[in-house]
Amino acid sequence: MTRDTPGSLRVRDAFATAAAEGRIGFVPYVVAGYPEAGTSESVALAAIDAGADVLELGLPYSDPLADGATVQRASAAALAAGATLSRSLALVERVCRARPATPVLVMGYVNQFLGPTGADKVARRLADAGAVGAIVPDLTPDEGAALEDAFLGHGLALIYLVAPTTPTDRAAAIAARGGGFLYLVSLAGVTGARSSLPASLKALVTRVKSVSPLPVAVGFGVSRPAHVRAVARTGADGVVVGSALVDALGPAGEDIAGLTQLCRQLRAATTLRPAVVEGRHVGLPAAC
Amino acid sequence: MSVVREIAERRASDLQEQLDSASRPAMARVARMAPPPRDLLARLTAPGLHIIAEVKRRSPSAGSMAVPRSVVEQARSYEQGGASAISVLCEPHWFDGSLDDLRAVREAVRLPVLAKEFVVDVRQLAVLRGAGADLVLLLAVLHKARALRSLVREARSLGLEPLVEAHNERELERALSSDARLIGINNRDLHSLEVDPDRAARLRHLLPDDRLAVAESAIKDPSAVIRLRALGFDAALIGEALMRSPEPAAAVAAFAAAGRPPADVAAEERLAEVKICGITDEDGLLAAARAGAQYIGLNVVAGTPRALDVGRAAQLAITARSLPNPVLVVLVTADASGRDLQRLVEAADPDIVQLSGNEPLEVLSGLNRPAWKVLRVTTGAADTVDQARAWLDSGACDRIVLDAAHPTLLGGTGLPVERDVAAEIARQVPVMLAGGLKPETVAAAVLGVPALGVDVASGVEVRGTVPPRKDALAVGLFVKRARSARFDQPQVESRPQPVAPGLVEADVRGRWGVERDLGGRYVPETLVPALVELEQTYAQVRHDPTFWAELRELLSHYAGRPTPLYRADRLAATISPKLRLYLKREDLAHTGAHKINNVLGQALLARRLGKTRVIAETGAGQHGVATATACALLGIPCVVYMGARDIERQQPNVLRMQALGAEVRPVQSGSATLKDAINDAMRDWVASVGDTHYVLGSAMGPHPYPTIVRDLQRVIGDEAAAQIRHIEGRLPHIVVACVGGGSNAIGLFARFIGEPSVRLVAVEAAGEGVSTGHHAAALSAGGLGIIHGARTLLLQDGDGQVTEAHSISAGLDYPGVGPQLAALARAGRLELATATDTEALRAMRELAASEGILPALEPAHALAALPDLPGMPGRGGEDELLVLLGLSGRGDKDMGHLAAHA
Repeated sequence: MTRDTPGSLRVRDAFATAAAEGRIGFVPYVVAGYPEAGTSESVALAAIDAGADVLELGLPYSDPLADGATVQRASAAALAAGATLSRSLALVERVCRARPATPVLVMGYVNQFLGPTGADKVARRLADAGAVGAIVPDLTPDEGAALEDAFLGHGLALIYLVAPTTPTDRAAAIAARGGGFLYLVSLAGVTGARSSLPASLKALVTRVKSVSPLPVAVGFGVSRPAHVRAVARTGADGVVVGSALVDALGPAGEDIAGLTQLCRQLRAATTLRPAVVEGRHVGLPAAC
Repeated sequence: MSVVREIAERRASDLQEQLDSASRPAMARVARMAPPPRDLLARLTAPGLHIIAEVKRRSPSAGSMAVPRSVVEQARSYEQGGASAISVLCEPHWFDGSLDDLRAVREAVRLPVLAKEFVVDVRQLAVLRGAGADLVLLLAVLHKARALRSLVREARSLGLEPLVEAHNERELERALSSDARLIGINNRDLHSLEVDPDRAARLRHLLPDDRLAVAESAIKDPSAVIRLRALGFDAALIGEALMRSPEPAAAVAAFAAAGRPPADVAAEERLAEVKICGITDEDGLLAAARAGAQYIGLNVVAGTPRALDVGRAAQLAITARSLPNPVLVVLVTADASGRDLQRLVEAADPDIVQLSGNEPLEVLSGLNRPAWKVLRVTTGAADTVDQARAWLDSGACDRIVLDAAHPTLLGGTGLPVERDVAAEIARQVPVMLAGGLKPETVAAAVLGVPALGVDVASGVEVRGTVPPRKDALAVGLFVKRARSARFDQPQVESRPQPVAPGLVEADVRGRWGVERDLGGRYVPETLVPALVELEQTYAQVRHDPTFWAELRELLSHYAGRPTPLYRADRLAATISPKLRLYLKREDLAHTGAHKINNVLGQALLARRLGKTRVIAETGAGQHGVATATACALLGIPCVVYMGARDIERQQPNVLRMQALGAEVRPVQSGSATLKDAINDAMRDWVASVGDTHYVLGSAMGPHPYPTIVRDLQRVIGDEAAAQIRHIEGRLPHIVVACVGGGSNAIGLFARFIGEPSVRLVAVEAAGEGVSTGHHAAALSAGGLGIIHGARTLLLQDGDGQVTEAHSISAGLDYPGVGPQLAALARAGRLELATATDTEALRAMRELAASEGILPALEPAHALAALPDLPGMPGRGGEDELLVLLGLSGRGDKDMGHLAAHA
């Protein structure tokens, strides 16, 4: 149970800070090593500078079964460009050193954590690199004890996911075991930009929040400012955006300006209270 | 107004005068003058479900059923068709029946006749017997418990066997509280005439096994009879369906055929054997033989209730051996010296000697018959197992008889052995389970304890007889219950398997292995509820005899099981003169591979889950074709994910899938082969979890799939073991199979894992050679990691990235392997071998040329590995070797490869 590790506390604080500023937390996701190591570092920094409260760095994997076509392609390209665990961790380290105020999480698949390297060694290397924790989409608490122990030992947060298909009592049990934030998958599916989010999202968020001691961030399918505003209205504490940002980098994966612009727009959409623009409130009826 | 009460009231008023006028003595006389009753009960203790065929002209629920045949002609047709009894309606107003009908039918047939009457007055019984009835219907709905009991008693005293009928739990309780031996459960509510077609099936478990069970009403189709037989009904009463049939004899024959236990070579091996012990006369011996017991016990221990003198025992032994189906004779002794034992054996000439006292091991020397040792459980399972092993290791003792301990009684105590302790012992050593077994307890005992057989004495005797005599009906019922208990239960343990439990069964979390560190469930959260639902539904199904009975029908009539076991002498001769090679021909199953076994079972499961869509992954296309086949059969839409590379190299299978109505979706990502097809199938499932079942094609993936697929494929090895035992009288020395994901391998191996004398060889694809790194040998060259939801052995780099596999054969081209096989390999229970692409192609040609069989490339790998097996005669081994090899599929799909690499 990694709820109170230093890494977890940093993440929870980031969400608290956003809330204090009248926003939900903004968590962009970029693929480490995509399109190749150098550009990838610039992409990561750009996402942070565009307003990330927490940054997710995806570790490229040969069999990303929770990811849709966008992230699959980026992952494959990164591997083809020479991405390895060591190089990805080196990227993490550079990013953390350059932007120490922003908590950096990695996202990877269970065999990257419980495979040949071994949980404890991976945890140590993550901690050494400055990461605050990890999201492992094909790991549930049913099998998570070993990795939780390793993360606990190295001050990291293990972020678990809850899905729309998760019954409330199980969601509570998952939330109790998690650290950092609780990742609420918005839909039954894989990552990938969707044109709209499910109509039942608000009910889902309300149900899950009621049993979570951790901030709840919604992800999967979020691609536009309108989505982010919708998420903000559901009462969620944060929003994760991934594939849309990968798309924003363009087919060659180099359009950092494009990514920055989208990030800024998404970040701007995270405000909960109407924006104060030049002293005027917007969003209130004209009669007021 | 309750229909049955209306009829009963009318009956009472109709018969009032008649019954009042006849004197008791007169009626008793009439009853006595009737022809002697014909027995039905003994017939019902024969295996399976028997048909009671009913004649009626009309009923309140069905209306008129007038036929152009007379009642007598109809009854004769029923007899001709194979009915076991005829039911005749006697009630005149609602059913147009009569006592005359009863008399006429009774005279016209040789079968027992059931008077289907509304008995409201005890005096009716004598009248019915007088008219020739052999059985009489008594309705629990019409009588309170005491009245019912006295009716039953009176009927039996007249030689009239009551069939007491109930429709709900309360009526059933009343029925059971009477002494009735024949209990019927009517699907029809006699108050309202409404039918609940599953009522009998649902209530069967409330009927103890010492009664004979009859299902009644709304049985329209032989398929219903298959289910009822599997649930343990001994008879079915069928009326309307037969009356409405234009060919009643044929209709009865069809129902009767459906009631017979089907041939099932795999099942034979797991059925419990039965020993009827303490036989004291010829009648008991004949009862045991007729019932189908394998053994009888003759007790020569002086001073015990069933003791015989040696001469008498010798006589009975001679009789036993002279029977058309001889029964084996076990001579029961206790504390006899070695010399006395030899003398007894010489005198009585038994097949087996049972040592029931505290004999020392030494008595075995010089004894030239196999011995069974009785052990009483006193200090717990482990001690008993140790003692058992001491006896079994001597070589002269081949079975343990497990009995309960008693401070003073020698011999059978009539007390049951504690179930869990017995099970633990029976898992380690071969056991006959004794101790207070009776017809109503033996089925549960046989399901809960993996004993080879059961042993009974007092539980099947007529009470109060001295010396104790066997009750023929109880013997018949005991044997029937003991033998049928495991028939529709292919997953029940039925013999010792002295290996670590983690090699044979997953735990509740789906963990395999000696350390329970393999398998598990590593999946995205979205899939967890679906897997939990699958796990829970399968848990219900796993021990549901109707599921396995239905699957058996499909496997035999549709898929063509059992598949042949073929002795490939010409191929064997090219390898070694001392090799006897048997090929298990899964290539001859429908769709040309073993995949159909898993798919038919999972399709039935999908239906139970209420899923309306099926997805699957496929490598070589065989699993895809099988899935498309099952979906076409069951009418479920089907999508198959197939790697784009595999689509290229297995075109014929793609066309077959499409012809069968499935949609084939190419997978471009990753290596565009099997592992990527699995990824896409899982991605689909994550999104479609609500209405879709994922028919995983191999014994891999997240829990519960490795268990389900293994359970569905184990029929391969279960059949092969029985088949090879029939032909060769023994199990094979070596069992060989190719391994991709592992389903055909675990299907062939499962039966043999717990047989320490049988070697298991897994052959993987070496592709271009293991040293080149271009292969698919996860067991030989992989490391521990997690792939597709399970912790297992896989090909991976240091970061845990999955390495692409390489094999010419699409079905073996997978970088992982199922967790049970990984557990077996790590425990040293599996020998590992590999074969290259070239070697597999060569083996394909060799089998084709020598035996005229074109194997798929996958099993060709297993064939290629034969010559180099350690211990192969001519290669360091000198003895004859009996080898069983799984020929998992046919090679039509691979002809392109063969031509390309000529």
